[in-house]
Amino acid sequence: MNLRERLTGETLALAGLVLILVLLPSLATAFFVNFVMTQTLILGLAAATIVFLAKYGGMTSLAQLLMFGIAGFMFGNAALDGGARGLNLGWHPWAAVGFAILVTTLAAFLLGAIASRTTGIYFLMLTLVYGVIGYFVFAQIVEISGPGGITSIQRPDLLGPPVRLYYAGLLLSVVVYAGFRTIRRTAFGLALQGVRDDPIRMASLGFNVPLHRTLAFTLAGFVAGLAGLLNVWWNGQIDPASISIGPTLILLIIAVIGGISSLEGAWLGAFVYVLVFTYLRDLPFVDRIGITEARFNTVIGVIVLAIMVLSPEGLTGIVQRLRGRLRRRAATEPTASTGGSLPVHTTTQKELGGTRS
Amino acid sequence: MSRLKRRTALALSMTAGLALVAAGCGGGDDESAGLPADQETVAGDGTGSPPAGGDGVRLGILGQCEGPFGGFHEDVVGGATLAMTQFAGATPGSSTTALDGFTGAEVAGTPIELVGIGCGDDTADRILQEVRRLVEQLGANVIIGPLSGDEGIAIAEYAKANPELTVLAGISGSQEQTLQVQAPNYFRFYGDGAIWNAGLGDLLHNQEGWDTVAVIADDYSFGHTSAAGFIADFCAVGGEVTSRVFPPLGTTDYSSYIAQLPNPDEVDGYFWAVGGTGTQASLEAFVNAKGDLTGDQHAGNLFFNPGLAQALGPDIAGAYVGGFATLPGDVQTPEIENYLAAADETWETIPGALSGNEPAPPSVAAAFGFFYGYYTAGVALVEALDAVGGDMSDLDAFHEAISGLTLDLPYGDISLDENRSGVVDVGLSRLVLDESGEVVQETVAIVPGVDQTFGGTFSPDTPSPGRDFPACEERDLPWEGNAIPVVDGVPQS
Repeated sequence: MNLRERLTGETLALAGLVLILVLLPSLATAFFVNFVMTQTLILGLAAATIVFLAKYGGMTSLAQLLMFGIAGFMFGNAALDGGARGLNLGWHPWAAVGFAILVTTLAAFLLGAIASRTTGIYFLMLTLVYGVIGYFVFAQIVEISGPGGITSIQRPDLLGPPVRLYYAGLLLSVVVYAGFRTIRRTAFGLALQGVRDDPIRMASLGFNVPLHRTLAFTLAGFVAGLAGLLNVWWNGQIDPASISIGPTLILLIIAVIGGISSLEGAWLGAFVYVLVFTYLRDLPFVDRIGITEARFNTVIGVIVLAIMVLSPEGLTGIVQRLRGRLRRRAATEPTASTGGSLPVHTTTQKELGGTRS
Repeated sequence: MSRLKRRTALALSMTAGLALVAAGCGGGDDESAGLPADQETVAGDGTGSPPAGGDGVRLGILGQCEGPFGGFHEDVVGGATLAMTQFAGATPGSSTTALDGFTGAEVAGTPIELVGIGCGDDTADRILQEVRRLVEQLGANVIIGPLSGDEGIAIAEYAKANPELTVLAGISGSQEQTLQVQAPNYFRFYGDGAIWNAGLGDLLHNQEGWDTVAVIADDYSFGHTSAAGFIADFCAVGGEVTSRVFPPLGTTDYSSYIAQLPNPDEVDGYFWAVGGTGTQASLEAFVNAKGDLTGDQHAGNLFFNPGLAQALGPDIAGAYVGGFATLPGDVQTPEIENYLAAADETWETIPGALSGNEPAPPSVAAAFGFFYGYYTAGVALVEALDAVGGDMSDLDAFHEAISGLTLDLPYGDISLDENRSGVVDVGLSRLVLDESGEVVQETVAIVPGVDQTFGGTFSPDTPSPGRDFPACEERDLPWEGNAIPVVDGVPQS
């Protein structure tokens, strides 16, 4: 594929978006950058792993927040020195980063290997079980989780100022997005999509189906671990409640809001979630209709419901549908109307199949 | 038609989205938190940028509108608001709810503006997001709160990382937030969860003859701290703890944890530190597994209240109850009466937790510890501002003024120890049957001047209270035998 083919409207728009995000710290308030956008990037990164597994591997995972948490806890245990909480190994921050990522990736490999023979609802249930067991492991084995969580977690000096954490999140997001998009065209990615579409045929062609699933899960775990590291640096602490069933579902909800079949949707969903969480209560008169901060979860629930009804492909599905409509209008205008519209899902589903580049 | 509807819905949702974005940008611009120029400051100091002093107090209150203590949101905001209306000339925003805040508060010429009320859900993650919103977006420079144990530790750490901020803890009862974290700008004008059970072990061992006890407590910092206070006290006077069970916070089915407790004929009594919605659920599980309650065989921390009798029946009468910032209603002094009357004058009704979040006289909420803890924090803010003549430009002087305060409060004087945690009087009580057969709470003793070290049992060098700490050991306690008995609501000093 040559450069000209790559320069589609979509890539240009994404490049423009990244440029805006790079310049954002000099355009927006510190709070918007350091709180709203940093959190968006972190959650988006984690949600992108759910999308990656669902889109290319056909696996909807509820264990991604566990990976996110394992990395956070491991970093806290390794990096802290001389407090009352955790193992207090007192390692150099970057050694702790390596340790956290190694443990997370290993855990993802093991859990992925166990889950690799299941699909669909069974995979979902199994990863839910991972999430619940993971929560109780950290809640019960207080030596590695506190007691009561690991607090006072400091960022490495390199990421000291909050705005650098934002840039780290942005950089990782761009790399991960590009990486996931690239993988689907590699031999591994194509085989993975084959496994998603017809595992029996792939097995009979000689592909190791469980291994492909395991490796995809491991890769997703590795990326979720990176997001987990950013999160503890951003939040300064992590406790078992951070990876309980509530936040686990929130991450899935973020992926669903954005569109579980679209990588960009992960960040879009995270943005909407953080925006609603932070600013909904500031809307004038919104409390007069009973929407107070205590009703936040209800509002998110209604948003998810509305999105599921209006567009099962999430917000990105809405965007794509609007774009498709505009394109069709442009195409049909010179000629006579062909009468009726094509089923809108066709376009999207083709994209899901990974046939468009 | 359906397409039209869908389009309308699309348009509506997009409008709502745009409005949110606008609110986001608007919120940031209106408030002083951070214009692009401020970015440099934030980038430079490595922390958030709470605006220090200068333009008066920008107050943020951290409550909990969700989670196990979500029902107390109204109470805690009410507590801080009452202090402002009573001592800073504020006007409440509504006569039927405290959540509308107050306006017009001023001390020594310095205005106190309420910039926002944070909504926690009993997790550290959420309260950190809420405090960051209050401080970094809305520009709060003084925080009153938070409400619960783990939140207190997280906020104390946040305060430590943001020295420009001043935090007056609300009613969060974990020990570590002051004893271990030791943030110089974090102040707690009430006791911790351990303090509230001081004297209870002494009373049960020496007066009621308990030698062995089983402890069941929530498995988080407040539950650990509350149990630690009882265990330290009970063991110090010679008692023995035969089993400790820690169900996770938010458990709904306690049967498996109750099964781990010894049977009633194997121990002299049980101590319960299970809070929020769990108190009743755990006691009901006990009744199902171990037979009827015998009130005399049970003691609990602040979550034992007469309301339990509604579900458990009068058998709960006889149980001893630890203290919780205030005293039960049978003790009435002129100061307490004035305080409760001031609450009733401030609002017509407020829907506090004790009235099931239905409108009730504000004094109902004010007589309970959640409201009172936030009230003491508000009073401390007013008195400290008064002490520095309303000048907050020198934060060190302001913090020193807070540290040096001795508050003359309705339920006893409160001063701070060297870790800026309250030294308080603890009121112990008992659930008893009144003439009409109703279960009521009756004060039995006041333990004066309790501090959080328990005579050296707890110190910055000891581990945080946990499942195994403190061990059960005999020690000398400063207040052993010093409890002032209370008869018919009158202290016998």
